[in-house]
Amino acid sequence: MGAVILLGAGASWVIQKANSSYDIPILKPVPEFSFINQDGDPFTEKDLNDKITILDFIFTSCAGPCPIMTHNMTGLYQSFNQVEEVQFVSITVDPDVDTQDILKQYAKINGVNDDRWQFITSNIEAIKDLKKNGFMLYAEELPRGHAIKFVLIDQNGQIRKYFDGTEEASMAVLMKDITILVKEFKS
Amino acid sequence: MKPFRTFAFLSTGLTYLLIFVGGLVRVSGAGMGCPDWPKCFGRWIPPTSLDQLPDYIDPAQFNIVLAWIEYCNRLFGVLVGITITITLILGLKHYANFSRIRWTIIAAFVLTLIEGWLGSVLVNTVLNPITITLHLFLALIIVMLLLYAAQQAYYLENPDSEKLSRYPSDIQWLFGCLALLLFVEVILGTEIRGGLEMIRKENPIIDSQFLLHMLGPFKYIHTILGFIITGLAGWVWYYLVKKSIHPSNIVVQSSTAILLLILVQIILGEVLVFFRVIPLVQLFHLWIASLILGMVCVQYSAWKMSQIAHE
Repeated sequence: MGAVILLGAGASWVIQKANSSYDIPILKPVPEFSFINQDGDPFTEKDLNDKITILDFIFTSCAGPCPIMTHNMTGLYQSFNQVEEVQFVSITVDPDVDTQDILKQYAKINGVNDDRWQFITSNIEAIKDLKKNGFMLYAEELPRGHAIKFVLIDQNGQIRKYFDGTEEASMAVLMKDITILVKEFKS
Repeated sequence: MKPFRTFAFLSTGLTYLLIFVGGLVRVSGAGMGCPDWPKCFGRWIPPTSLDQLPDYIDPAQFNIVLAWIEYCNRLFGVLVGITITITLILGLKHYANFSRIRWTIIAAFVLTLIEGWLGSVLVNTVLNPITITLHLFLALIIVMLLLYAAQQAYYLENPDSEKLSRYPSDIQWLFGCLALLLFVEVILGTEIRGGLEMIRKENPIIDSQFLLHMLGPFKYIHTILGFIITGLAGWVWYYLVKKSIHPSNIVVQSSTAILLLILVQIILGEVLVFFRVIPLVQLFHLWIASLILGMVCVQYSAWKMSQIAHE
């Protein structure tokens, strides 16, 4: 009996340690920017407030990692469909090709039917600047040289963590982290 | 002779502990604590800081606590593997002519190798639910085989253990039914757990007390089968303890232990249903199920020994 209590106490300690081990540091605030979404409405850094945002950089004609990233983003978009505090933002790195119409079409193809996932664009210089200096991501040789990261941003517009948008195991961690941030935000 | 028995019992005990540790990995969410296999973040000892991570692994996956939980599980797995290997060597050395022991321990060893490989599959498939269940299923078979081998070795050294006892002779099917239903019950339990995880995935921020309500009528099958198992175990107890002549201590104790453990299982199960899904309770609920299966194995071996003794 003593051994069982010892096992239980040990397991309880491990579970507690595991539960409090999720570290989501505050990295830096997202700087000001003023882009437009696929409907032509403005989208600025203020639209990140009061939402937990998952953001990535893609271009619609990309045949490399983008389909995997969008597939993973779609999975998250569906998982959190009951959670209005969570939004998704994809920024195109090929604004000349990815016109509003194309972005709209791309959204539709990927099953986006509400404004929880927005596709935003601007001129290439502004996108490059935001990506490189705002999000500290590689932004040379756009559109092909775009990063494959998903960026987790909290309700105060602070960048919290980067995830490999093509990795299934990273998506599991991201999901857990979103859940933690939503719970923190709601409490 | 005796070293084999010692190692067989040691392997059994350590495997039971490993089942507990494996369950702990599961309930603490540390299954992907090391995203690669057999190494952990490309190292034999988990990294302590982000700059020790290899380029090919996303740093977002690094959680030092979860990495160490999973790493301890793997280390302990290696220890159990070594113990089972020693048991195999001793078994082949001392009991080469006793096919019951020889084949049991060989089977346990081969399944242990498969179990290790399944561990790698689990990591590669990012914890595929079917593989998780199979991983547990094999662990249960291995621990029963080890227990059986240990008990058989004991009987070889103590051939008179069941000489005085007389049990009803036509109850073999009862043991079979009990073991089979217990296995089905464990699988159903893992399905419930899998179902809860699916619900959690679709409703990530749901509170745990609502989880079971969303599972639907499926969970009642687990409860109903639980009551059938209780009845069956009670029936076996009645046959072996009350309807037998001079039942051995092993039989009386294992039969009574099964009933007591089932009682604990019912209480833990009800706690999970009526309060909330508490990880520690989940862990013990599964682990005790594995103990009950082991006890049924002990019961059967003793009954069988008695039948052979009186043939």
